Amino acid sequence: MMEAAERVLLAETVGDALSSGGPLDPVLAKLGWLEMLDAEPADAVDIVFNALGRANGTATVLDDVLASALGTQPRADLAALLPPFATWEPPGTSHGGRTAGVGLATARASTATEMLVVCHGDAGPSVVTVPTSAIDLTPVHGIDPNAGFHLVRLETDGAGAPLNAGAWDTAVAHGRIAVAQQIAGASRAMLDLARTHALERVQFNRPIARFQAIRHRLAEALVAVEALEAVLIAARDEPSAVTAALAKTVAGRTARTVGAHCQQVLAGIGFTTDHPFHRYLKRTIALEGFFGSADEIATDLGRELLATRLVPTLIEL
Amino acid sequence: MGQKTCARRLLMEIAEFRTGLHSWLDAHESELAPTFSPPGTLDEQIAQMQRVKSILYDADWMKYGWPERVAGLGGSPLLRTELGASLAARGLADPGLFSLIEVLAPTLIDFASPELAAEVVPRLLSGAELWCQGFSEPSTGSDLAGLTCRADPDGEASTASTWIINGQKVWTSLAQYSDRCVLLTRTGTTDSRHRGITAFFVDMDTPGITVAPIEMINGMHEFAEVFFDDVVVPAERMLGDLHGGWGVAMSILPYERSSCFWQRIAYLYRRLEMLVEVAPADDRAARVIGDAYAQLHSVRARSRATQHRLAEGATLGAETSIDKVLVATAEQTTYDAVRRLLPGVVEMDDTAIGQAWRTEYLYSGAATIYGGTAEVQRNIIARRLLDLGADE
Repeated sequence: MMEAAERVLLAETVGDALSSGGPLDPVLAKLGWLEMLDAEPADAVDIVFNALGRANGTATVLDDVLASALGTQPRADLAALLPPFATWEPPGTSHGGRTAGVGLATARASTATEMLVVCHGDAGPSVVTVPTSAIDLTPVHGIDPNAGFHLVRLETDGAGAPLNAGAWDTAVAHGRIAVAQQIAGASRAMLDLARTHALERVQFNRPIARFQAIRHRLAEALVAVEALEAVLIAARDEPSAVTAALAKTVAGRTARTVGAHCQQVLAGIGFTTDHPFHRYLKRTIALEGFFGSADEIATDLGRELLATRLVPTLIEL
Repeated sequence: MGQKTCARRLLMEIAEFRTGLHSWLDAHESELAPTFSPPGTLDEQIAQMQRVKSILYDADWMKYGWPERVAGLGGSPLLRTELGASLAARGLADPGLFSLIEVLAPTLIDFASPELAAEVVPRLLSGAELWCQGFSEPSTGSDLAGLTCRADPDGEASTASTWIINGQKVWTSLAQYSDRCVLLTRTGTTDSRHRGITAFFVDMDTPGITVAPIEMINGMHEFAEVFFDDVVVPAERMLGDLHGGWGVAMSILPYERSSCFWQRIAYLYRRLEMLVEVAPADDRAARVIGDAYAQLHSVRARSRATQHRLAEGATLGAETSIDKVLVATAEQTTYDAVRRLLPGVVEMDDTAIGQAWRTEYLYSGAATIYGGTAEVQRNIIARRLLDLGADE
């Protein structure tokens, strides 16, 4: 893991490079994203996805995170099939030499030559590398047309390589951390926008930031953002499926809290497409469903606690 | 690089301490266990805590993390945080009562004469004494700088050998059990606010002190009104400088917001576990428990970062208002989960289990009030952390 000072420096460099927003894959490639992911995976994911969230940028690097977690060398022309919205089971099935899959994909699916599809099947979990010529790809506009997501359906001959029992869980954990970081960055950005507006917007002859009702909403948003950031640091220090699941459920909850308070503070202007707020709000709403919604993950965590009748503290001093 | 090595050494020190402590606590479980079934009366809880402190002091565990000049064994203060959290998690001492040490002993160590600190701090740690903190007054809740309990010199302030105290304190936890009190008094003019406050260390058996316990919403008498009527205190019992009491009061914040919170959080994990042991294993319960777990994890992650910042020498300030909001919210969420998932237990159950949950459920309402209300915390966050300027 990196030293704190190195991490700050890299975060600044990446943040500056990504601040333009828009499609950012070329920028990330120039920054050496794949080398970073190889050398310092946890720091690379934290820094890049947080910066993507802040910049409201679009990139397809989630595919690399999944490939890497599955033990495959990530490359720009390799996509990964993501589970359908609000779920986290393996998106594919493999039976008798036949592979089928339904799920979501980033925009990489439209340019890549191959796609990794994790399957469950007769012979246990496997990963199949499917040529993209064999997949049926539909762009998703949805709530956030700029995010570049696609719906994927595929059915093809060919079996894959067997996968360790825990490999998919690891991939889900890494995916959850990446998405939670992106939500954390976007939540910070929403709070910054609302704060600026509160200081500039004058009503009753004073900035609305003077009113306690406004101040308390922004304070509530900051508490949520900082809690999420702490949870993400804990997940980096104690990486596990459970700390990643907690990070993702807290991220979803944070996005809702911050989105609601900031939209209310931004009031009329936040309800228009003239102001950038709407792009962040829509992005966090879209992202919340990846690898499970806040509610579903919380329920799943609760089931686990009830099954064991134990409440582990996970992180120590 | 040096910083990282240092941090790693600290983590090893804590881990080693934790391992040793837990095997010792396991070995002495029957000796340490409460002799009553929880919740017990406050008398029983206090006796239990003092007994546990005494056993732990004799075995040296209570001495780690405290400086040698008060007969401690040194080491990181996080060691004593770890100890308090372990006691809370095992139900050996109530964290609200036990962690009062953290807001009292450091004040004596930092502001009393070395002789006085060396004399009295070991008595607090070993369970020989209990102390209380006389800050709040009837007219002074969130607005501490408005306190009016007076201390006047017997003669010139600069040469007086004694001070005379008159006034009233309220919400003074454990005053009726206490041997001493860390007391904030007004020594400046009425409107001198935080510039005219002085702290004293007062023996509670001094003539002129009257204690009137207050019954709380859960039936316990944890705090009291304390009346001071011409109470004579020697000048050498002044803590810090004349008119320096605000600094004394503020110096407590880092301990209250780090160690005390960590102990409270450990206790709440155990409470959630006690709920999980008996809750129905259905999806509704899973959702409620999962949400509470995520909140506890959030505050634990935040508090861990705060503890380590403090251990690395950072000065804690307004940012700990975030910790305070999170711990209060998590506490209320945990006890709400109990009420939601165990219908009738808080409301109608007269067994010891029902009484224990009821007492704690009702107490959790105070989490957003004591130590600075939730609203005051949000004001601080808005002003100091979000830099929104002065409010209306």
